[in-house]
Amino acid sequence: MKSRSLKLREAHKVGGSAAFCSILWDHKAEHFVTSSSSDPSISVHDGLLPSTLPPTILRHHQDGVTALALSHDSSFLASGSIDHCVKLYKFPSGEFQTNITRFTLPIRVLAFNGSGSLLAAAGDDEGIKLINTFDGSIVRVLKGHKGPVTGLDFHPNGELLASIDSTGTVLCWELQNGIVSFTLKGVAPDTGFSTSIVNILRWSPDGRTLAVPGLRNDVVMYDRFTGEKLFALRGDHLESICYLTWAPNGKYIATSGLDKQVLLWDVDKKQDIDRHKFEERISCMAWKPNCNALSVIDARGKYGIWESLVPSSMISPTVGIPDILPKKRNEILNFDDEIEEELHGASESLNDSFVDSDDGESHHTSRKRLRKKTCIDDDGDAYEELNDGSSLPSASQFRKMSHRVHREKQYAGSGAFKSTAASNKYKMQSSFQPGATPLEPGKQTFLCYNMLGCITTIEHEGNSRIETDFHDTGRGPLVSSMIDFYGFTMASINESGCVFANPCKGEKNMSVLMYRPFRSWASNSEWTMRFEGEEVKVVANGAGWVAAVTSLNLLRIFSEGGLQKHILSLDGPVVTAVGRKDHLAVVTHVSDCLPSNEQVMEFRVLNISKMTEELKGRVALTPGSRLTWIGFSDEGSLSSYDSKGVLRVFTGQYGGSWIPVFSTSKEKKQEENYWVVGLNTTSVYCIACKHPEIFPQVTPKPILTILDLSLPLASSDLGAASLENELILKQLRLYETQQRVDDMALAGVDTTALEDEAFDMEVSQDKCILRLISSCCSSDSFVRASELMRLLTLEKSMRAAITLVTKLKLPFLAEKFCSILEERLLEEANEAITNPSQNPNREVVTRVESKVQNPPASFQTKSSATKLSATTFVRKAKVSEGLKLGKEQVKKDETEDVKIKEIKKLNLIKKPVNNVNKEDKGLRKEVNQEEARRSSNPFLKSTV
Amino acid sequence: MAGQTDPHISLFSPQEVEFMAEDELVEIVPNMNMEQLNFISGDFGLFIPQIPTKVPLWLAVALKRRGKCSFRPPGWMSVDNLTQILEAERESQSTFQALPFSYVEIARLLFDHAHDDIPDKYMVRSLVEDIRDVRLHKLETNLGSFQGTSAVKISNVSAMEVNIVRPFVRRALEAFYKHDKPEADVGRDTRSSRQQREANNEPRRPLRQR
Repeated sequence: MKSRSLKLREAHKVGGSAAFCSILWDHKAEHFVTSSSSDPSISVHDGLLPSTLPPTILRHHQDGVTALALSHDSSFLASGSIDHCVKLYKFPSGEFQTNITRFTLPIRVLAFNGSGSLLAAAGDDEGIKLINTFDGSIVRVLKGHKGPVTGLDFHPNGELLASIDSTGTVLCWELQNGIVSFTLKGVAPDTGFSTSIVNILRWSPDGRTLAVPGLRNDVVMYDRFTGEKLFALRGDHLESICYLTWAPNGKYIATSGLDKQVLLWDVDKKQDIDRHKFEERISCMAWKPNCNALSVIDARGKYGIWESLVPSSMISPTVGIPDILPKKRNEILNFDDEIEEELHGASESLNDSFVDSDDGESHHTSRKRLRKKTCIDDDGDAYEELNDGSSLPSASQFRKMSHRVHREKQYAGSGAFKSTAASNKYKMQSSFQPGATPLEPGKQTFLCYNMLGCITTIEHEGNSRIETDFHDTGRGPLVSSMIDFYGFTMASINESGCVFANPCKGEKNMSVLMYRPFRSWASNSEWTMRFEGEEVKVVANGAGWVAAVTSLNLLRIFSEGGLQKHILSLDGPVVTAVGRKDHLAVVTHVSDCLPSNEQVMEFRVLNISKMTEELKGRVALTPGSRLTWIGFSDEGSLSSYDSKGVLRVFTGQYGGSWIPVFSTSKEKKQEENYWVVGLNTTSVYCIACKHPEIFPQVTPKPILTILDLSLPLASSDLGAASLENELILKQLRLYETQQRVDDMALAGVDTTALEDEAFDMEVSQDKCILRLISSCCSSDSFVRASELMRLLTLEKSMRAAITLVTKLKLPFLAEKFCSILEERLLEEANEAITNPSQNPNREVVTRVESKVQNPPASFQTKSSATKLSATTFVRKAKVSEGLKLGKEQVKKDETEDVKIKEIKKLNLIKKPVNNVNKEDKGLRKEVNQEEARRSSNPFLKSTV
Repeated sequence: MAGQTDPHISLFSPQEVEFMAEDELVEIVPNMNMEQLNFISGDFGLFIPQIPTKVPLWLAVALKRRGKCSFRPPGWMSVDNLTQILEAERESQSTFQALPFSYVEIARLLFDHAHDDIPDKYMVRSLVEDIRDVRLHKLETNLGSFQGTSAVKISNVSAMEVNIVRPFVRRALEAFYKHDKPEADVGRDTRSSRQQREANNEPRRPLRQR
């Protein structure tokens, strides 16, 4: 054994003192790379014929190369140097790609993660930089080491990163959140500040143990999760170990010591098998993939390959390589698993997480189960055998078995329960985020889409990339994309910031709430909140506040800066929530789903700044449907959309009720589904999706479709459904506006702008009514026409209606209309006289006077209605024109009658009172109501 | 064809034809908020992000250059539709498929300014070019086959194609006219003969469909 000599060949010239040299194999054993800390060049050697072909030399660094790393698929080579640069090359061509990062001090070590998406770099600088290899952005800086970091290794599943510094302290980082999962202080020898000797650490290929050189010339194995010392490999090393490497299958480990020996260990038996003494200290070693060979490089830059070092009597190091390769470790597996678990009920998944999280087997079990489910049983068995061959403690194996049996029992139990007790039981709908599309692995999905912008996420090799876009690219702030280690599934966006949250996955990953403001005067004003033992279900944000509703039915309200302001307990499990300015709407379940598959839900609208509840009520849904969207309209009224395609708006009418303003089934295009994004008073903004799909895809960028609101009206004999629809919507709008005017008047805010708006609405509503009257007249439904006449708000439009019917040669209707107009005017006059104290304002008094002066005109119209129609109103072809003329006439009448108004006033008031008394009382009441509403009518002012 | 190269023979230069085609309406998806634009040709807008609106091509190009909108490629510019059209064009030797009057210009402008908004742009581009070549070739061979007539009717010929063949066809028809009626030609100049032709041939329009 000892006689076997190993010829070393010089790759790098090392003058003077010893240097740290590196050697690396690519994954196919076609090339290997060497470098030296005293030589700025990197050599790429041909793996088959290293002696004959001259190596490719890469000279990009200005100083010695201290670190090399190859991505898992060997497509990229990274090198770090004393010149503070980390460079990236294509491999095997060696084409220089980019200076991916720079440090302020020399680099000591580099490592790629399993998928090659992250490069960890560290050295004499304070922190370990995690660099996104895609765009070179710094994903995270892990700070915690007190000395130069000399060793880095990603866990095979990509979730952990172990690092060691020259003082011998080991830290294990959780990449998802950047926190330290365990610290081992001073476990490895202190190597000082020399660049020629480094501290090293390596995860075993199956990811269960971490090998670190010990203080007693040994290798110590630590547990992956707890950092507990498992065992040590101690033998014939006379000085401390400076390098170690696992065989690809994890059964052997090669160590090199400062005593210039390389030892080969059988990890299972914990003893050394073979050794080799060299002339110089071996500074780096690499197993040749697919071969029983180990390449070594010494501190003088000489390399060699130790062929067939594992005796042929033992298992070859290439047999039984554990397949925790990044490809296998893809999140897809985990994701599917989760879905499956969800299907089998919450209780079981809870059980799972308890059992799984205390050992490290969750991945194995889940994969095994999946295989069993999808493939042939043999496959799974083969895998099991493979695992059994390794050093798996029998206890954990047993636990796994029992665990599975337990689970199967539960399946059977739950199945029986389902079939007997609740065969037609419907579930309460789970919580959702408005404007989100279901997560799909490997596909970009919307976390949030509203009228302002959208947040998308794409799962990419274990991590997610989150992008925030505003629809109006000119006005919205530019938000950089973000690497998401948490796996955010909920998000909400508004003008000032966006909020994210993730559900908790077992005990290890807590539910986290994160807020990113878009503009802030202070740097680094992002903040995160962790929730122990509770899970964020829904998030929302508004003007200066962020809200999260959790699984404990707690509504937590934070300020924009992250101050915890309020915590409220909600009545039931949350369904969804949405914010707009000061308002937060929360929907919660009231009770279990009814047997008729109707969800029982309740909403509350809270004013966050005033700490008040503004609205509360039940959520109306189409039978058998679920709530799919909730939001505020552009004007601020709460709206909901259900899975049967009915959009509802909450109004104050009838003491607060939902009005169905849009229904997909009423739309002509049946082959499309509408995914609602927002609405205003006249139309709904939605994304049209081709029929089987119910939600949009991120690419191509979806465009909004504007659809008119349409109430589900019964088909009337009138045949003017669109007009009726328009009228109801306009009445609704007018009502809302008047409500707002009243609210603002109460609050003492200037309401002129809104009043003008209300006036415009009244005008357009009257136009609509006039058109309806004309269609009523043409279909001979005169009662309906007279009812419509009573609905007219403005006097001039009533006059226009009279001229309209006279023109349509309906004298009796004209007469009826005239009497309605009279009634109206008398009512008003009456009102003004009886309650003068209510209107002490002088302006109002004059208004009343001007009102009173009008009756003569109406009498005149009445007496000579037919004549006038022939002469004065001949020109009026259209109704709208009639309206204009009416306006003109009103003005004319006013100016003429101003002089005689005082005289006639008293007379007029007397007569009408008698008249009205004769009339039907119900009608009078109606007019009274009309009058009450008109009290705030700006038109009256404007006519003065 | 002669008109393609010689600007004196062609009535309009290709640039002029393109200029006229810029009045065609296209659909864009703006990414900014803007009030309605009131032009002599009509009102366009309002512009709300992510809500498609129709504007003249020149305005769309101007907005696109400023990064304020993206195009929605017109319906006929899909690979499926263009493949069908190309096949149909190749099949029938006499008729032309219905395409927008200025499809060449629209396609050209879209490729120049909005290539990133066209799905399968290379395929679409080569299809449009193929269609153009096939149609032009067909038009030329058809022109070669007409005889003894003073009017020709070919439907669905696009602006650019008409522009290319117009000078030749006009003169050829004039020549036919002259030779067909030598007696009528005596004592008349070309202008009056053309006037007469224009006056006469309205009812005779669908003479020969090529």
